[in-house]
Amino acid sequence: MTVPRVLVIGGGIAGMVASLGVAEAGFQVYLVERRPWIGGRMAQLDKTFPTLDCASCIITPRMVAVGSHPLVHLLTLSEVVKVDGEAGAFRVTVKRRPRYVDESKCTACGRCADACRLKGRIPNEFDMGLGSRGAIYLAFPQAVPMKYAVDPERCLQVSRGRCGKDGPRCVEVCPNDAIDFGQREEVLELEVGAIVVATGYDPFPAQAKPEYGYGRLEGVITILELERMLSASGPTEGEITVGGREPEGVVFIHCVGSRDHQVGNPYCSRVCCTVVAKQALLLKERFPGARVVVCYMDVRTFGKGYEAFYERVQRAGVIYRRGLPAEVFRRDGKLVVRGEDTLLGRPYEEEADLVVLATGIRPSEGTAELASVLGLELDDYGFLQEADPHDPLVSPRPGVFLAGCCQGPKDIPDTVAQASGAASRALALIRGGSGG
Amino acid sequence: MADPIGIYLCHCGGNISGVVRVHELRERLKGLDGVALVRDYPFMCSDPGQELIRRDLRGGGVRRVLVAACSPALHERTFMKVLEGEGINPYLYEHVDIREGCSWVHPDSEEATSKAYELIRARLERLRKLRPFYPMEHKVVPRVLVIGGGLAGITAALDVLEAGFGVVLVERSRELGGWAARLGRGFLAPLEGFIRQKGEALMGHPRLSLYLESEVASLEGFPGDFRATIRTPRGEEVEEVGSVILAVGFRPFDARKKPEYGYGRFEGVITTVELEEMLREGRVPEAQRVAFVHCVGSRDHQVGNPYCSRVCCTVVAKQALELKRQRPEARIYALYMDVRTFGKGYEELYEEAQRAGVIYIRGNPGEVYPGAGGLRLRYEDTLLGRARELEVDLVVLAVGMEPPEGNEALARILRVPLDGDGFFLEAHPKLAPLETPVEGVYLAGCCQGPKDIPDTVSQAHGAALRATQFFHRGRVVKDPLVAEVDPEICTGCRICEAVCEFGALHFDPRRRVMTVEEFSCKGCGACAVACPSGAMSLRRYESQGFLPWMEALVVGGP
Repeated sequence: MTVPRVLVIGGGIAGMVASLGVAEAGFQVYLVERRPWIGGRMAQLDKTFPTLDCASCIITPRMVAVGSHPLVHLLTLSEVVKVDGEAGAFRVTVKRRPRYVDESKCTACGRCADACRLKGRIPNEFDMGLGSRGAIYLAFPQAVPMKYAVDPERCLQVSRGRCGKDGPRCVEVCPNDAIDFGQREEVLELEVGAIVVATGYDPFPAQAKPEYGYGRLEGVITILELERMLSASGPTEGEITVGGREPEGVVFIHCVGSRDHQVGNPYCSRVCCTVVAKQALLLKERFPGARVVVCYMDVRTFGKGYEAFYERVQRAGVIYRRGLPAEVFRRDGKLVVRGEDTLLGRPYEEEADLVVLATGIRPSEGTAELASVLGLELDDYGFLQEADPHDPLVSPRPGVFLAGCCQGPKDIPDTVAQASGAASRALALIRGGSGG
Repeated sequence: MADPIGIYLCHCGGNISGVVRVHELRERLKGLDGVALVRDYPFMCSDPGQELIRRDLRGGGVRRVLVAACSPALHERTFMKVLEGEGINPYLYEHVDIREGCSWVHPDSEEATSKAYELIRARLERLRKLRPFYPMEHKVVPRVLVIGGGLAGITAALDVLEAGFGVVLVERSRELGGWAARLGRGFLAPLEGFIRQKGEALMGHPRLSLYLESEVASLEGFPGDFRATIRTPRGEEVEEVGSVILAVGFRPFDARKKPEYGYGRFEGVITTVELEEMLREGRVPEAQRVAFVHCVGSRDHQVGNPYCSRVCCTVVAKQALELKRQRPEARIYALYMDVRTFGKGYEELYEEAQRAGVIYIRGNPGEVYPGAGGLRLRYEDTLLGRARELEVDLVVLAVGMEPPEGNEALARILRVPLDGDGFFLEAHPKLAPLETPVEGVYLAGCCQGPKDIPDTVSQAHGAALRATQFFHRGRVVKDPLVAEVDPEICTGCRICEAVCEFGALHFDPRRRVMTVEEFSCKGCGACAVACPSGAMSLRRYESQGFLPWMEALVVGGP
């Protein structure tokens, strides 16, 4: 007997599209997300290429749709720890960590966050650490579910059993008694017919390329940090400054952690070339007088409309220089990017105030553990391995399908297509066909 | 008494409030006729933003809503759903764009604020007069018309069948499989087994109606209930389907359109498609010196194809590597602009080709011409910054992908627009790459834009989902904003019938008036404009609300 329900693991754009795909076809979905909110990486982006649509504007309605769909059971702060059974009838064990906030009572008024003793002392991961938060917080204003959550590792009450002399202030100020430090971890047993894995990616850690000075030199940032800075609702409210001043020179460096044997990532991350084109254009438009230079190996703007976009960026005055830099260092108060221009056949030095590293895509933390829970295999770089290279969304385990960057780097349209496809296969299976 | 109106102003996180002075706007709007309250919020579309409206509706203090925010294309539906959820008719709603049409285009704060005010004030004129409407419902035929029997079409058809629905598969040629079957080899593994398996599962399926050597001649009706006329060798047949998947693939670029490469003129100049067929049949070229030329018909404004064809770089890596393996002594060159081997495992293939001794030269040739010792390629090595020549025995042109023949005709039949490059246009480049602007018609594979096999298969699975997603409900629900005829005034002159692009208007000979086939009407309003007697109107744009709105804009007000 096939169980007519689907489990989706991961609440980024891939997991959201897959969940809505199943739910809108009339079937129930459990959407398991490890963080307190859904949205994933796409929610962090400012604008999307090649149309420069605002990312929040297109993802927010989807997030709301996922959060409010009667057939989507959203399980945040949850992780899949065990999967038994087989295609058509999986038994899944999910561990749900406490939020310490009663979702049915929280109205997101924000008084708890204001009152938190650690307010403003903890870097906000959503803002790539550029903004700060307290121990009870909402990562971003459009978060779904729109419910505050306690960070158990930082919260004094949870981690030390004691918050100040007179107890946690958040509890005191909450008008609805929503904060509940008595919540305990729950273990849920779910029965589903099919599973879609959509656990996404993490950016390559730029510190692993010490020659570019990330973490050491002020003004060296990553593309994801720049996304947060560009965002009007981000930590700088859209302002781009280095040491309080607008940049006069900006250098983008391609392939940081991609196509690089030295760091063990020989693969291409597919999106960074077009991300850089977009960000370079936005900065050039913002600072018309600034010199904006992109250092590249090959420009891989292959998606629909991306080549035309790349041409537009060049016409806007962004300079493309072929040759990845060897190092970034500081000289007389300026950053200097040094490399070999392979077209001119001679070394170059570019002075800049801002150096942006196009960090590549790697599997999200925990992918290997999840793979072993699901009985899936990893490829050479830790992405989930598909059963047949011609069909990227079918995993070797019947009934388990792959969506988005957990299977390999890809951009948003390719992710959306694959996630819809994974939902299609899951539906074919639970509808009692031979799918899987 | 008139319904109390609530106005909600969105800051869009600074996108609007950075230019439009929202608080000033709020104060000016208070006290306008019928306006019960005016609120503003950083993101109206967010959960708490929507909750503001809900609370006011629940309290009964607001019965009609106006939201001033982004373009209605983005969030009109979002807010209509809020009304619906609270039991208020969703058509008692106005969405005023003060972002795309205001804050984004008027840098001056004064001007933008006063324009936003005028837009909202004028729209209130209509909001006061809007009527409620109710969605229309119709049965669904649970079958999908799949146009094109290549890998995309086969994959999509199989998913639809396995989900328990029917498929009408129309293929122009004599057999299924398309280019993938003809070429037979993927980048990383053979394709034959993969395609054969799908073909076997498909053939003879009880819910499949297969039309080979056939084409779609027309499509009428609407999502859920289309009638497709199919031109077959045995004459025309009509099939009923609920939705359509377009999977008509691509055609390789005709290398003759780059005469400087001598294709069709010089022996020894072939295309990657021809080489693929030779390699598949085990006919390995004898040539000892081979040059591959990248981007033939791609990234090339001169031939009108500025786009990248996505696959050719990896095709070259694969073929060059195979030639090198078969003829280790041969010298193999690849002349390129950028090497775009971006797919999973493709960069490794490119590296393997280089390790095997394939020589990559950055610079596409200006011309190919016959010399004494072979074919000569003249090019600029952009890494050395020097003009150079190369002599080879075989030139392989990496031809790009173009939209297939007959695309324009099909676009007309289905009323689906093409993009600037001639491929079918998706509804949204990011979040709706499988949908077309025409409801009920979906896209799979290269007809939407060049793509490799894994991306095609992925998209085809996804298109199958989209095309069947509404089948389970057993009925389609349609927006009621369509044309309406007032039979009291209509004289049956049939002028409107002639202007309707969608065949939605029919003359009723008994009553001698026009009737509207509501499910076919797209709500374009052409009939209302053409009607000489004012009998035709478009719902929500009837004169009693529309004219005061326009008048307020033109004449101005307080």
